[in-house]
Amino acid sequence: MGFETFVQTFANALVLGSIYAMVAVGLALAFGVMQMANFSHGELFMAGAYVVYVLYSLVGLPFLVAVVAAFPIVALIGMLFERVLFRPTRGNVLSGFMATAGAGFIMQVLVGQQWGVGLMRSVVVPYKGSAEILGAAISWQRLVIIPATIIMVGGLWFFLKKVKAGKGLRACAQDPEAAVLQGISLNKMTSLAMLLSGGFAGVSGALMAPIIPVTPYMGHVYGVTAFIVVIVGGMASIEGAVLAAFILGFIHTFISTVYDSVTATMVGVLFMAIVLVVKPTGLLGNVKV
Amino acid sequence: MTLLLELKNTAVHYGKVEATRDISIKVLEGDIVTLIGANGAGKSTTLRMISGLVRPSSGEVLFEGNSITHLPPEEITGIGIAHIPEGRRVFPQMTVMENLEMGAYLRKDPKEVARNIELVFSHFKRLKERVNQAAGTMSGGEQQMLAMGRALMSSPRLILMDEPSLGLSPIMCQEIARIIKQIHAHGSTIVLVEQNARLALALADYGYVLETGDVALEGKAEDLREDDEVRKTYLGM
Ligand SMILES: Nc1ncnc2c1ncn2[C@@H]1O[C@H](COP(=O)(O)OP(=O)(O)OP(=O)(O)O)[C@@H](O)[C@H]1O
Ligand SMILES: [Mg+2]
Repeated sequence: MGFETFVQTFANALVLGSIYAMVAVGLALAFGVMQMANFSHGELFMAGAYVVYVLYSLVGLPFLVAVVAAFPIVALIGMLFERVLFRPTRGNVLSGFMATAGAGFIMQVLVGQQWGVGLMRSVVVPYKGSAEILGAAISWQRLVIIPATIIMVGGLWFFLKKVKAGKGLRACAQDPEAAVLQGISLNKMTSLAMLLSGGFAGVSGALMAPIIPVTPYMGHVYGVTAFIVVIVGGMASIEGAVLAAFILGFIHTFISTVYDSVTATMVGVLFMAIVLVVKPTGLLGNVKV
Repeated sequence: MTLLLELKNTAVHYGKVEATRDISIKVLEGDIVTLIGANGAGKSTTLRMISGLVRPSSGEVLFEGNSITHLPPEEITGIGIAHIPEGRRVFPQMTVMENLEMGAYLRKDPKEVARNIELVFSHFKRLKERVNQAAGTMSGGEQQMLAMGRALMSSPRLILMDEPSLGLSPIMCQEIARIIKQIHAHGSTIVLVEQNARLALALADYGYVLETGDVALEGKAEDLREDDEVRKTYLGM
């Protein structure tokens, strides 16, 4: 691998790790606060991409506006899921699985009916051209994902560590019953967790809309990847999810550049298996939210 | 003395299992009332019912004469009842300061909260030295102090304490007892659940002896200390 290819691959890995991180932190947060996994998380990502497709490609609003709008729109879907899927099934993992997996399929069908299934929706690249970095060319469209991730994940970190409601989320993740005894409403906190979870998935999908094909099924692979990231990171750990996202981003990008993407996926899964054998709770399994 | 808390013929079921049967308890403002009894007698269940974590299947809970039987637990905290749960249950990955802040979650005025933190530090000098330590890395006694401090942060009228001496060394038990007295002297009403009946009856004004979900005996703490049955079963004399 030449130096140029190395820089190129390194940058691609950073971008991929960033997007994995942004998708996965929401899943980890929701799991931490609710102790329930959201099997429609990938569809929230897909919803974000469709927000860009509709607002930017169809309506003609600026790309940035569409990306920002994806946060509240998909956050609302997340809150709706909390209200109608998670709250009624709280504490029952199997019901939660069926309810959320079902909701994911329903979203795919609804989006397919509204905007079509067969043809992929093309989103014209808003940020054309490439940045020259140490001789490698990295498209602006991908590059913006890195600062976006720093802002989003940094913002989440600040919220969880410094803002009262964010600390309430951490308290709920660490001991829900003790949190309730402090006067923290579990319903409000699970709602807030799903709001953030949806918002992060939505923005991730929005940022990827010009880069990958926009289809009703596009969320699947990102949902699965987010699960792998969260399992490797330690289920309820935000920091673990970020760490695992970049490790898997680098593994995937470098191996698919040198070999191919099938090998890369296999090595990624192998890595997960090794982590789980060596440390069954994940990399940072004892760090809760 | 006014009646602060009253349980009227309360029963609690966990599914089909009957945990408590017919418990009636009165707590006068300013008193320390203790509930003693063997493992599984229903002491924790009774406290959990008062704070709304479990619902009575029959009977009523009155606080200052108003029924709180159906209030959600976060609102029960809001009206001035703090519950220090069995096993301390501090937030392990939050710092001492953050744990105290969570105790003040419903308080609005930051100045009052700051004053309250100073009050907690005056009761628990050790917490002040450890404000930035993760709660989960503290010793059992320190965690108990933090759990008590956290409860004080809501400025409660009534404090429910579930086995504060559990698993602590005799010296630490004495320290906790001293602090309970101090908190009580500050004007709090306390319901104290203890397996350590000696400690509990030394602190309390009034006591209830629970046996398999029922009140077997009640009376002034000084009378219970002299009761033959209590001496034999709970004080080991
Ligand atoms: N979540 C639960 N589900 C089913 N049964 C329960 C539950 N919690 C308590 N019980 C039962 O209710 C009864 C009373 O339990 P409780 O915890 O109130 O006792 P306790 O007096 O606090 O005992 P200890 O001194 O051991 O803490 C016991 O028989 C217990 O097995
Ligand atoms: Mg108990």
